[in-house]
Parts: sequence; structure tokens; C-alpha cells
Amino acid sequence: MSKLRAIIHVDMDAFYAAIEELDHPPWRGLPLVVGELGPRSVVSTASYAARRYGIRSAMPTLAAQRLCPQALFVPVRMSRYREVSAEVFGVFAEVSPEIEGLSLDEAFLDVTRSLRLFGGEVERIGRYLKQEIHQRTGLNASVGMAHNKLLAKLASELSKPDGFLRIQPDQVHAVLDPLPVGRLWTVGKVAEASLHRLGIHTVGELRFAEPRRLLQACGNQAALWQRLANGLDERPVDSAAEEKSVSAESTFVTDLTTLDQSLSWLAQLAERVGERLRAHGLQGRTVTVKLRKPPFETHTRQLSLPQPSDSTDVLLDAGRELLRRWWAAEKSPSLRLLGIGMSQFAPVPQSGLFAAPAEQGGRDQLADRINRKFGRGSLVRGVVLKSRKPGPEES
Amino acid sequence: MRFSLQREALLKPLQQVVGVVERRQTLPVLANLLVNVSDGRVSFTGTDLEVEMVAAAATSTSEAGEITIPARKLFDICRALPDGVNVDVKLNGDRVVVTAGRSRFTLATLPASEFPVVDNIEVVERVELPEATLKNLMDRTAFAMAHQDVRYYLNGMLVDLRENALRCVATDGHRLALGETAVQAKVSQRRQIIIPRKGVLELQGLFENGDGLVELEFGKNHLRVRRGDVQFTSKLIDGRFPDYEAVIPIGADKEVRISRDELRTALQRAAILSNEKYRGVKLDVAPSRLGIIAHNPEQEEAHEELEADTSVSDLSVGFNVNYLLDALGALSGEMVLLCLRDGQSSCLLRAVDSDESRHVVMPLRL
Repeated sequence: MSKLRAIIHVDMDAFYAAIEELDHPPWRGLPLVVGELGPRSVVSTASYAARRYGIRSAMPTLAAQRLCPQALFVPVRMSRYREVSAEVFGVFAEVSPEIEGLSLDEAFLDVTRSLRLFGGEVERIGRYLKQEIHQRTGLNASVGMAHNKLLAKLASELSKPDGFLRIQPDQVHAVLDPLPVGRLWTVGKVAEASLHRLGIHTVGELRFAEPRRLLQACGNQAALWQRLANGLDERPVDSAAEEKSVSAESTFVTDLTTLDQSLSWLAQLAERVGERLRAHGLQGRTVTVKLRKPPFETHTRQLSLPQPSDSTDVLLDAGRELLRRWWAAEKSPSLRLLGIGMSQFAPVPQSGLFAAPAEQGGRDQLADRINRKFGRGSLVRGVVLKSRKPGPEES
Repeated sequence: MRFSLQREALLKPLQQVVGVVERRQTLPVLANLLVNVSDGRVSFTGTDLEVEMVAAAATSTSEAGEITIPARKLFDICRALPDGVNVDVKLNGDRVVVTAGRSRFTLATLPASEFPVVDNIEVVERVELPEATLKNLMDRTAFAMAHQDVRYYLNGMLVDLRENALRCVATDGHRLALGETAVQAKVSQRRQIIIPRKGVLELQGLFENGDGLVELEFGKNHLRVRRGDVQFTSKLIDGRFPDYEAVIPIGADKEVRISRDELRTALQRAAILSNEKYRGVKLDVAPSRLGIIAHNPEQEEAHEELEADTSVSDLSVGFNVNYLLDALGALSGEMVLLCLRDGQSSCLLRAVDSDESRHVVMPLRL
């Protein structure tokens, strides 16, 4: 076996809520929920004080309020969180260029090649990250260290909040074995249930399970799970892990019941996705439309483009087609959530005739410039205006 | 309904219409041909609701009437019969009996009233062209049409009728092919229509290099083409074709004159080592020479060097080699002219002595 890697997983504690407390001293220590109260709104982040009442992310805010009537519900300020996130990622960059950001507040770092610089100890690097992040942002980060991603992430999760834990190679089984199988990466609810049926509840039981029996009951994934249960994980820290998809969605206070209305919303969402695609220089091949009908049934529909594109028109044309088809096939179509996204990004060396400055591309770029300068929504497609009345709650 | 034809005389119209009939249909009757016998003529109509083809033949023995017959089966039977045999087709109740020599086939039918036909189209313009000219125009441009593009208006061919000229234009968004021919007819105003891809392919199959004339009728929503015993009608794509004239480069003033055949064969060789996905080749222009370089992910390399009539120096630009080869294949004449500008701009290709056929290819960033 080659030399062990040194992987660090950093996860900010209750990131959005912690920033709100930082910016609003009177809120500190109160049960705080980022996410406004509303019939369709969900909890984005809950402070630790709020978590004591059982409030969790993704829970409807109304349910959260029932759990803790005195909780404070505050609006999401994404641009502020991005600002702080940039600062945190700046600290990461000081210890290693190999950073795989998972979200605004979470990342893997491969520091194998930085060890010498920091005196050979991964804990020194972990300590440095924690201190610098706290000093520069006033926020707590949980830091997990190990020789692979699976264990590093587990280390930060197990030690949270304000965590700091290194899992040594000889501690792997002691740490992993007692954990419920559901804690393993790629083991979801369905997989967990099928493992339970085999009488496998802990990672340790999974580790010693008969591979053939496992394969029969759980399929090809079984081999991966058993490797993970053994603490083996070769996934590299992928700093080039570009965004895999760009999407936007909206949940509606009142369900959309007409196709016209839905198409208008779709245009608004597509404009946002198109703008982000171009800002990141991404061109995608697959357009996905996400449709959720009341009470809570989610469908997705996909279409492949013949050529990768970042044009809002192309995205929107495909999205409209998908939405229309879905709408026509439904008995009583109605939407509580609508989303559109682009994925399957490809480098596109081939330039297009009509994406040249003269035509569509030009229009997209012009709209992007105006919207950057005067704020989002300054220049939109006419059809978008139909949906402009009530404000959406975004997720 | 009854008619008799010699096998070959029957096979010809059947061949012309059967291609229109889709193998999978939304309506059962679309699998059938409409057969109409009247005034000593028999006509066959096939349709897929987008494209309709009617072909006719004179028949000696006949009883007037109309009925629909399974297209594929009738065609396959006819094809499999021995040469020169006389084929008799007769409606008997709700069945059609096909008799030829000692062979006899009984086919199911559907009433003619169920068969959708395009009635008279509202003709707004009419032009006549030599068949060979029109065939040439289409053959030299159709390859550039898009296929199942979300920009649905690219999945077809633009026919641009203007004063004294008719143009066919096709583009998939990366390259564009334009063919032009002079027309004498008086045109009341400029007309632009987009023929769907399937209609274009059918027309290409139909046209021959004969001297005869074909008549084009431009309708509001249809194009109708008449040639002798055949009448073709296609719905049009309802959309706006992009402003193709805007993408034909004007500023491309760096000219390279080169033997079409030499360039074509050199590109074919270089293509062997180009990236399978993007098919990139790099053109390097220096005074009196053109270099072609191709690489693949295995780091293999092809290098071609050609003599060229040019004073351009220090210009390097990448292209999809298939697009260049398609364009060169659609051009005629010994020498071609490449008009380039820089590494980010498109290339215009045409024959040195004619601009009736023009091709624009967008670069590949290599």
C-alpha cells in the first residue's frame, strides 16, 4: 500500500445561523431559524439553540414553529453568506491548493503534500485552519482529519460542534463498527432498509457480512459498502470537481394551475440558470425540469441537447417542451414547485454561427451585463412579467 | 376500383411514394396508400401528415374508384414479382385482390374517406426551374441541415426566393451551406420558407438529373412541387430562420487559393489522426503554403504541407475536419478559395471562379 494520504474535512457549524448571530448580537444564544415563516417555506439552517427543540434543516418552518413557538425566524441573506464563505475558502487555499468545495460551508482538503511545510503533523494544519477561520470570521468550524474522505468527514461529524478529531489508521474499526449503517456514504433510506432486513444494523455487522449474500440482496453497491465499512475509500479530493449542475427552482405560495403561469415562471428560472452558466463558463447538454405537484409528489423530466449550450433560449426551449409534455400528460396539472437545471457539462471547442456576438449570444451577454449592473431582474423576457406578482420563496 | 399495369410501370410510382410512409404511424390509415382510379389513370398517395407524395401512371384496363391499401405490403409484393408480369389490382368487397400470373394476394383495405390529403394550397408564388438545377442546389446544401436540434427551424432547408435568384440555405449552427441559382420568373416579393428535413430528403430522392422542368408553388403553409406525373407537398416549418446573410463573413480578407482535390485528400489523411470527438485540424497559413496539423489524445500527429496561392502569413486556425470536407465535397471546380480572418473567425469556402455555392465553417478552439 502506498503512503497514506492526509485528508481534512472542514464543516462550518450552523453556518447561516452563526453568521446571523454574529451580525446581530442580540440574537445570540436564542433559538434562531434561518428561513422565513410561510406556508411553503422550509428551514435553511437552525442554530444549536433551536436544534435542541428538534428543529432541523429542510423542515417546514411552520412545523419548526410548533416545536418552538418562541424561535426567531429570519430571512436568508445568501450574498452575505457567500462573502463569509469566500473568506473561509481563502484560509483553505493557504494550506493546500487541493480543495474540493462541497457547498458554501463545507470542503475536503488534501494536505498530503503540505505536511512538510507544517511540520509533518496533520493536526497542526487542522488547528491552523480552525484558529484562522475563527480569527477572521468569528465563526466555529468543525475539523475532521484522516487518511481518506470517508473517515475525515466522519471525524468532523462525530466531533461537531466546534469539533476537532483525527481518526488514526489503527482506530478505524473502533470508530466505524458501532455506527449505524445509514451513516455510510451512499447508504440511503432504501439501502438501509434492505440491510436491516438482512439483520445488518451496524457498520461492524456490514463489515463481516457474507459478501455473496449481500450481493444477492443489495446488488452491485454491496461491494462498495463493504469497502467503506472497512474504512477503505480511494476517492481523490477533486479540486476540479466543477459544479455538476446549475439549477434554479421556486416553491409557490399558491399552486400554479395554468400552463401560461408555469411557462412564465419557467422563463424566469431559466434566465437565472442561463446567467449562472455563462458566469461560470459552463455549457451543458442535459436540461432537467423538476415538477412537484401537491401535496408533495416530485417528478423530473430530462432532455438531451444535440450540442452543449449556455444559451437561455436553448435552455428555455427545451424546458418549455418538457413542461408542456408533462402538463399535457397530467390529469389535473398543478405545481407547488417548479425548477429547471442544466447538467452534463462539456468543454465546447466548437464555436457557433449564431452564438456569435451578433445574435443570441449577444443578447444573453447584454442581459447579463445589465443585470449585473442594475440588479437581477432588471432586464427580463416579457413572458416573465406575468409571474411577477407574488414573490417566490426560493430554495 | 380496378386497374392493371405492367410490374415495372406499377413499381415506379410505388417507389416514389412509399418512402413517405413511416414505418410507425399514429393512425392506421397512414400505413396505407390512397389509390385513385379515374379517366384511365391511377394515382398513388402516401403521407405522414407532414409530407405528401402523389405519383400517377396511365392504365388501360380500369374501373374508376378509390380505396386505401397497405403501402409496404403492396410495394414488397410488386418488387418480388417476376419482371414484365402484368399486375391486376381489383377491389372486391372490403378486400383488394392483386393478381399477377399465377400469384394471387388478398389485402385488407381502409376506406378512402379516412385518408388525410392536403387540399388545394393557397399559392402565393410560382416558379419553374430545370429539375437538374434544383437537384444540384439541394444536394450541395442539404448535408448541413441540423438533425433534431431544439432550434427546430434549423431542422430543414431555407428556400429563399428573391428577385432573379433562388437560394437554398442549410445550417446546423456550426457551419452553413448556401447554393444560389438565377431564376427568370418575376417574383412579386421576397419569399422565405423552411422545408422540413424529411421533405428535403424526399425531394432529393425524387429529383433526377433530367432536362425537364419542375414547378414550385409557394403556399402560406405548404410547398408544392410538380414534376410530370409526381406531385409532392410538404408542410413548412413555422419559424424564423436565422439571418444567414449576417454570418457570411465580409471581413475575411485573408485569401488562400488552393487545389480543391489536393486540399481534400490532404484533409482526409490528416483526419485519421484527429480527435474522434471534435475532429479538430489546425490550418497554418504562411506565404505560398498551407499546413494541416492533426493530433489525437494518444499524442499521435499528422502533418501535411500544401502549396497554395496566398500572401497571408502567420495565421493559424482550427476547424472540424468533417465540416471542411463536406464543404469541399459540395463545391465544384479545380481551385477553391478560402477566406479567413483570424484564429477566432469563421472561414468562407467557395470555388475561385464562382460564388453560386458558398460555405461558412466556424472555428474550433484548439
